[in-house]
Amino acid sequence: MQQPDYRDILGGGLLLLLGLFMIWYAASSLSLGTIRRMGPGMFPMGVGGLLAMFGLLIAVPALFRRSDFPAVEWRTAAAVLAGIAAFAIAIRTVGLAPAIIAQLVVTAGAEREFRPLALLVMALTFPLAAYLIFGVGLGLPVPMLRWPA
Amino acid sequence: MSGVFDGLGGNLALGLGVALSFSNLAYCFLGVLLGTVVGVIPGIGALAAISMLFPITFHLDPTAALIMLAGIWYGSTYGGSTAAILLNIPGTPSTAVTALDGYPMSRNGRGGVALLMSTVASFAGGSVGILLMMLFSPLITQYALSFGAAEYFALMVLGLVAASTISEGSAVKGLAMVVLGIAFGTVGMDIYTGAERFTFGSMGLLDGISLVALAMGIFGVAEIIASRSQMDHKTLDRTSVSLSAMKPTRDDVRRSIPAMIRGSAIGSFFGTLPGTGPSVAAFIAYAAEKRSSRDPSRFGKGTIEGVMAPESANNAADQTAFIPTMTLGIPGSPTMALLLGALIIHGISPGPQLMTTQPDLFWGLVMSFWIGNLLLLILNIPLVGLWVRLLLIPYHLLYPAVLMFICIGVYTVNNTAFDVWLVAAFGAIGYLMRLLGFQAAPLLLGFVLGPLMEEHVRRALLISRGDPMTFIERPISCTILVATLLLLVWSGVGALRKRRAADAPAVPVLADE
Repeated sequence: MQQPDYRDILGGGLLLLLGLFMIWYAASSLSLGTIRRMGPGMFPMGVGGLLAMFGLLIAVPALFRRSDFPAVEWRTAAAVLAGIAAFAIAIRTVGLAPAIIAQLVVTAGAEREFRPLALLVMALTFPLAAYLIFGVGLGLPVPMLRWPA
Repeated sequence: MSGVFDGLGGNLALGLGVALSFSNLAYCFLGVLLGTVVGVIPGIGALAAISMLFPITFHLDPTAALIMLAGIWYGSTYGGSTAAILLNIPGTPSTAVTALDGYPMSRNGRGGVALLMSTVASFAGGSVGILLMMLFSPLITQYALSFGAAEYFALMVLGLVAASTISEGSAVKGLAMVVLGIAFGTVGMDIYTGAERFTFGSMGLLDGISLVALAMGIFGVAEIIASRSQMDHKTLDRTSVSLSAMKPTRDDVRRSIPAMIRGSAIGSFFGTLPGTGPSVAAFIAYAAEKRSSRDPSRFGKGTIEGVMAPESANNAADQTAFIPTMTLGIPGSPTMALLLGALIIHGISPGPQLMTTQPDLFWGLVMSFWIGNLLLLILNIPLVGLWVRLLLIPYHLLYPAVLMFICIGVYTVNNTAFDVWLVAAFGAIGYLMRLLGFQAAPLLLGFVLGPLMEEHVRRALLISRGDPMTFIERPISCTILVATLLLLVWSGVGALRKRRAADAPAVPVLADE
């Protein structure tokens, strides 16, 4: 199905918004300084301006063009990203081994087929491998288990 | 200039001594071994592997760290051809061209010959690249010592523009990604005034966005999301990879040698240019080989030249890519940017003074390339059966392991969960970019070079008392900026012509690592 080129309209539009935001942020909360002695805001403002310009250059021609939008892997994206989030939450509270297992379980949601055996094997071997590589091999001080305070 | 090579013999001896020390030898081996593994497995490239191991290298001395990371980089190109030839899935982007003739060869039962000869081509290309690096680095360094802030700024602009306009895909979108990368680079504390920029009160952003988290999210995580559904079914003819099936015919050898020489030359040239790198080098070498062939119709059906030319080109480019990175401190690709990041984290400022202040590091690295390439020759020819078996690991077991390594690797850099959250955020951004047809490579280059550019532009204007003409009045800086402008005009004209020729913007995106 051909439809308006939403890819570039969306992409260019997002860049335009981000560029405008940078200009506003730099102008409102950073000092610009002079050309000779630039303040912290001058460079980001220039970058924001360029970004907004490219956003327009991408989005405007796309309004007059038709194209396909690619299929989105919502399920995989959600499971993989949520798995990373699960790791981020668990690592500070309960330690590395539970964090790895939490990530595995959440990421498994990406598969249409539920494979309990594969999951079990990974849940047993991955923390062990991580312990051997990072703990024993590299001597990094990452606690495998931590009790929530 | 006559004195440039005076110390070469001594430097080589020094480098060899460094590279042959037991620990450096071990890290070199580890690097090329890991490189081969990640190269063979589709979906994890050198960049992902280097970012994963990046945190580990903080605990090593800088020379060993660089030797290992570099080994992963050129090792992955050796390994990448295996998957390209046997499965038509390029293990790394730069081996995509190898699949054009390599896969038909293995369909014709000549996969073993293709594997063997591609390893030979890789070694030949790599050797030419290293030789050129040894010869040209001292010359460029001496020249570059006279560069000031204006010249560096101009060079970086040229590098970034070239990176986004020469490689495949839309030039405007590539440039937009460079600018987006520079924008991400401005996050954190301003180096001159200490003012907080775009931190939104977050402590985790005070030191800027973590390079490892950004690279892992945009390349590693986004890659996994995009490729998970495509990795399910693969079949493999195992008989074609035994040693006995590898023997090339006399005709193969006769046709391979000129292809290899041309490929190495083309690859060496394109490797040094910012933004082109091994993918473009392989592509151009293949195109040149096809054009110069007496019978171009054989290409794409499994001809040996179609494997030799791109394989020698991408490996030559892998090695010459180090020339601008090590002599000027300007990386031409995201992987080089990461290697530069590793140097900076170790407190070594890259640039022309590096060769004189740290000769052991520079020459040790160069000599380790020889050792690494020899090791790869051994690793790839007799052990190819082992790598092929790796290809048979189901992807649903592989990608959770990769994700785990990403999370642990990123976490251990600063021992903060904040960076893991950043990985998730950049994974989402990276996947969105893929959907919308934006390349990730220019973004990473912009991210690494952005802060350096800001520093140089501010310093140049401080020296010139606020006169922006300084960039044009200085002859070298002016020449570079004019070249940049020409490049922009040229790519603009090319884009317009292309749009008129065909309304379909279906250009394959071959992001280089």
